Amino acid sequence: MKLLHVVGARPNFPKLAPVSRQARAVGVDQIVVHTGQHYDDAMSAAFFRDLGLRPPDINLDVGSATHAVQTARVMERFEPVLLQHRPDWTVVYGDVNSTLAATLVAAKLGFRVAHVEAGVRSGDRSMPEEINRIVTDRLADLLLTPSRSADKTLRAEGEPDEEIMFVGNVMVDALLYSVQRARTIGFRRRLGLSTAPVTVTLHRPANVDDPKRLTAIMAALREVAAKRPVVFPVHPRTRGQLELGRFDVGSVKLIDPVSYLEMLDLVEGSHAVITDSGGLQVESTALGVPCLTVRDTTEWPETIECGANRLVPDPAEIPGAIASMARLDDPPRPEGWDGMAAVRALDCLRTR
Amino acid sequence: MHLLHVVGARPNLPKLAPVYRAAARRPALTQTVVHTGQHYDDALFASLLADLALPEPDINLGVGSASHAVQTARILERLEPIVTNQRPDWVVIYGDVNSTAAAAVVAAKLGIRSAHVEAGLRSGDRTMPEEINRIVADRLASLLLTPSRDADETLRAEGEPECEIAFVGNVMIDSLLEALPRARALARPRGHALVTLHRPSNVDDRSRLSSLMRALRDVAAERPVVFPVHPRTRDRLEQWGIESGAVQTVEPVGYLEMVALMDAAHAVITDSGGVQEETTALGVPCLTVRETTERPITVTAGTNRLVHDPLTLPALVRDAVRPRVLPVIEGWDGSAGERVVHALIAGDLP
Repeated sequence: MKLLHVVGARPNFPKLAPVSRQARAVGVDQIVVHTGQHYDDAMSAAFFRDLGLRPPDINLDVGSATHAVQTARVMERFEPVLLQHRPDWTVVYGDVNSTLAATLVAAKLGFRVAHVEAGVRSGDRSMPEEINRIVTDRLADLLLTPSRSADKTLRAEGEPDEEIMFVGNVMVDALLYSVQRARTIGFRRRLGLSTAPVTVTLHRPANVDDPKRLTAIMAALREVAAKRPVVFPVHPRTRGQLELGRFDVGSVKLIDPVSYLEMLDLVEGSHAVITDSGGLQVESTALGVPCLTVRDTTEWPETIECGANRLVPDPAEIPGAIASMARLDDPPRPEGWDGMAAVRALDCLRTR
Repeated sequence: MHLLHVVGARPNLPKLAPVYRAAARRPALTQTVVHTGQHYDDALFASLLADLALPEPDINLGVGSASHAVQTARILERLEPIVTNQRPDWVVIYGDVNSTAAAAVVAAKLGIRSAHVEAGLRSGDRTMPEEINRIVADRLASLLLTPSRDADETLRAEGEPECEIAFVGNVMIDSLLEALPRARALARPRGHALVTLHRPSNVDDRSRLSSLMRALRDVAAERPVVFPVHPRTRDRLEQWGIESGAVQTVEPVGYLEMVALMDAAHAVITDSGGVQEETTALGVPCLTVRETTERPITVTAGTNRLVHDPLTLPALVRDAVRPRVLPVIEGWDGSAGERVVHALIAGDLP
């Protein structure tokens, strides 16, 4: 059996890593195609090593562009690769443009597609990720879900039962695999923090492209920073917005983007996390660190149900919420957050 | 309210025409037609526009023919700036071609609503590229304009919300009924068997194409057989040395000529979706050489029949009879285009 994995952006790699490791462990042939949607210096050999991944076999170098242009470039460049390698499964991850583009190409050529992290929905179609998810799930032949609620979503969308397989959360696999090593790198110590910080990540257009919104968020972060350290690894996009608008960052500590292991170390030692990322909601919950999600919706309801995550659409509520939050004694473990999701995913792929 | 229609291939035009005309009758509506240029056979395209009383498209993207992925990619790239600039109230997409799926993706990503004319059709066969285009378009469109009640049911079973589904009827039948008096004025001789074949499963498989042609030669021994041949299929026939015998292989025909040939036919042999519907509306027996149909109503109406084995065609053609009474099908009344525009206006209200 041969798998052809398609990844395109940073958040895809922690999802790919456990699946690819398990494929290697059970002796399945595989090829990793990186479309190059995101490409930055942080995605070096060290980045792959942190995740226990080999560098991708094929790089399509599509670069950044509008959604339509980026999707188009992936389609054009991926089609010949797929025809050359003719895998038994094209495995796509998450919700980026490459996920949709590769699925569309494979469906047209009659190649089977498996979607890792299927059935995840925010319910908000103004998010480009939501469009990518719903098209991918409709076309994929095997829907590998991270939660029972994702199964239910897919059934309600009329997907046949035999295509839906609950495997659990592969991001948690990656986290459990790496967390011990993250504890040894001493990243927090290097930052010279006196007490447990609040870690912030923001990248969604709804938060960082609207100057009024970003001003309100930064005001809230300055208030939080008056009481405890606030560390904000800044996405290049966001740094651009901050510098362009000359926002007052106060004592908020802006740092360069961090590696996967550095982020795990930072989050694990944090008092709380403030984010608009999907992955970080899962990771902070798995580490038992309270999370405030600066959005109206989440595609990870299980993080809220277990009490670790809270939606704060209004930035003014952030300081109060931070003060009232405490770390959870035991990290929550929703069903399928057991580090075995990729093992189950490979079982599904091999028995079909 | 501004409509941006996206069409890409010839079969889209008889669907666009009634919607375009109904919108043009309302002074408050403005509209732009974007032709992606998937089919670039200009002579035939121009004659189709004339037959359907459609103006030249406002914008031609000139994508030309290519693999599915490359063609879809070019449409994505070239359409996005147009939709961004025009910011229409609706992107209106038609049928099941690559342009249909690509335009749905572009609109959805830009947060602009799209309306799919001929939503909810399914063959159930995902090896057909059209099926992929249909399910992507229906998943993303905000308004699903269906030609039949069974299409409504299909969309409901796929979890589409009730408020997005609107039964409008069959727009192609609008075009057919509009063109029929002019087509009959051509007074074509009656009694022939008319053939159209274009699907890869029929024309790209050598043994399948030769057994189809053998059957057609047998039919031609009993009555005239008229076969307007797609250039690609003509190449195949020559390349594989398949004899046409008495079968009259002619150049592709325009819309009016096609309606006239269907209307005057004893029976029609086809693998096209549209022809199955048009023959049903005309009460002409249709033999569909495919395993599945996305238009089951044509079979239940009694005029259409799926034929799996080409060798049975000669007997089936011989035995074909027109129904005594034309089938009456809900929404096949020539007013579907009006209902489409109604639904677009109603859907635009806050």
